[in-house]
Amino acid sequence: MASVFTNPLGEGGAAAKAAAPFTSRKSRSWFGLLPFLAFLVLFLIVPAVSVFAQAMRVENGGFGFTAMSEAFSGQNLDAFWFSIKFSAGAALVGTVLGTLLAYVAASITRPRWLRDAVTAFSGVAANMGGLPLAFAFLSLLGRQGLGTKLLNGIGVDLYSGDFGLGEVTGLVTVYSYFNIPLMLLVILPAIDGLKPSWREACSSLGGSGYTYWRRVGFPILTPSILGGFILLFANSFSAYATAAQLTDNSKIVPLRIGFFLGGDVSVGEDAIGFALAAWMIIIMAVAMIFYWVMRRRAERWQS
Amino acid sequence: MKDRLFGRFVAPAILAVAAGFFLLPLFAMLRFALQNIQVIDLRWSNIFEKWSLAPLWSAFSDDQFGRALTLSLQLAFGTGLVSLILLVPTIVWVHLRLPRARSAVEFLTILPYVIPAIGMVAGIMVIKPHARWFLNSDLSLIPFYVVLALPFTFRSIDTGLKAIDLRTLVEASRSLGFGWIPTIVRVIVPNLRSAILSCLFLTVAVVLGEYTIADVLLKRTFPAFMGEYRGSDPKGGYGLAILSLVVTTLIFMIIGFVSRPRSMRRPRTKGTT
Repeated sequence: MASVFTNPLGEGGAAAKAAAPFTSRKSRSWFGLLPFLAFLVLFLIVPAVSVFAQAMRVENGGFGFTAMSEAFSGQNLDAFWFSIKFSAGAALVGTVLGTLLAYVAASITRPRWLRDAVTAFSGVAANMGGLPLAFAFLSLLGRQGLGTKLLNGIGVDLYSGDFGLGEVTGLVTVYSYFNIPLMLLVILPAIDGLKPSWREACSSLGGSGYTYWRRVGFPILTPSILGGFILLFANSFSAYATAAQLTDNSKIVPLRIGFFLGGDVSVGEDAIGFALAAWMIIIMAVAMIFYWVMRRRAERWQS
Repeated sequence: MKDRLFGRFVAPAILAVAAGFFLLPLFAMLRFALQNIQVIDLRWSNIFEKWSLAPLWSAFSDDQFGRALTLSLQLAFGTGLVSLILLVPTIVWVHLRLPRARSAVEFLTILPYVIPAIGMVAGIMVIKPHARWFLNSDLSLIPFYVVLALPFTFRSIDTGLKAIDLRTLVEASRSLGFGWIPTIVRVIVPNLRSAILSCLFLTVAVVLGEYTIADVLLKRTFPAFMGEYRGSDPKGGYGLAILSLVVTTLIFMIIGFVSRPRSMRRPRTKGTT
């Protein structure tokens, strides 16, 4: 990857030489990116790489995968399972409801301000997270919450089953607050990109509404929907601040990393924290690459 | 027929349920923070009684509050400034000289999603013993916040630059004898006013919301103070959360406001040559 930036003349020698004055200017123009790249390397890449270095270091200074494999066993494995479970659940709920809501928003024609209001609010809610979100749901659905009491009033005991804000059900509910609007923002351009003429073409060829969605609408939306799902999964998987207020220290991966970083562990053990962080970065990288590919594919229909 | 049924009944019903889901938690938090009645004692008859801002005032008078807020404002200011100094020249350069690198650069700006705050802070913990002179200072958070804000700040400057006829402006300025730096400061920046404003506001929103790094590194920023203060006085802590939500929402409204009229006012300069 780095060679792309430092040596753009690496390939295609003959063609490059033929246009020498132009290309030499061009190769210099990559230098304009140096300050930006240096900043990224220093404050993002170096920390990320040192996480991996620390996770794979063994006591005599060599490399080893003890910590990396230990991060996938015992309580750490439980944390991974729990994180993956509720993140997948939150992503699924967010994808389905976000798409539904986006479809409703796209169909709003009157009053005109309503659609703008929905997207503007989504912009705010999709970026909401951290402590305020946790506090809001604690005061609504906590054991002494307003919503819990209202539900009690109509005879529903929220806490009779295994509901809890720190459990899968609770986290899915809370994370839906930013996942649904985020999905709406991701999918709305794709839904707007469905041209009415496609629908007309389908029905003039004898297709029903079902045929349209089955053969045209849904296939076109699929990359956006899959990409959105992955984005929401990554978003839920890496969230720290909200979860830190809702659940105990070591149940989910980001909090477990924080627990190991806090330093209340024995000397050899802190490598596990870095190994967990390294695995998290790997999972996030796979997810974001998938998202990026899907987004490229979805943009084909949005002109 | 089916469409009309959807528009008349189903769509409004879905919107109403959604409004409930998104507004009820906010209302519950507001009530918890500002109404001095236990949930158990709450009836329809006393729902308007005993509201007061007192928990918020007592949070303001905590000695740590001023210090935490000052630190967060300093961080916001520094993050905004560094973001602009780093991004404006870089993106101008990409638009003029390396348009083909734009999507590669954009890809780099989403890297903070790949390496989330908790991963980044793990890296900072590794580096810490080697760079204490830097990381011991509270303001050392600035470059990391710049990175965290990149996905937002890059996009705001990038769309701002797309909306102006950059090439003509730069060529005019350069042919009148300006160097690169005066061109950026005196020609491009005034034309990017609304994009720069959104960029600055976005960094404020990011800094006011960032908890992970501050929490792990034990830096006492405003969000960290909020979490800690809630432990001793829940009502005050929730009040501070409401305040930060109000500020963030205002910020997003201002961004929506400043970035809209400009694109509608924009004269069509392209195609007239």
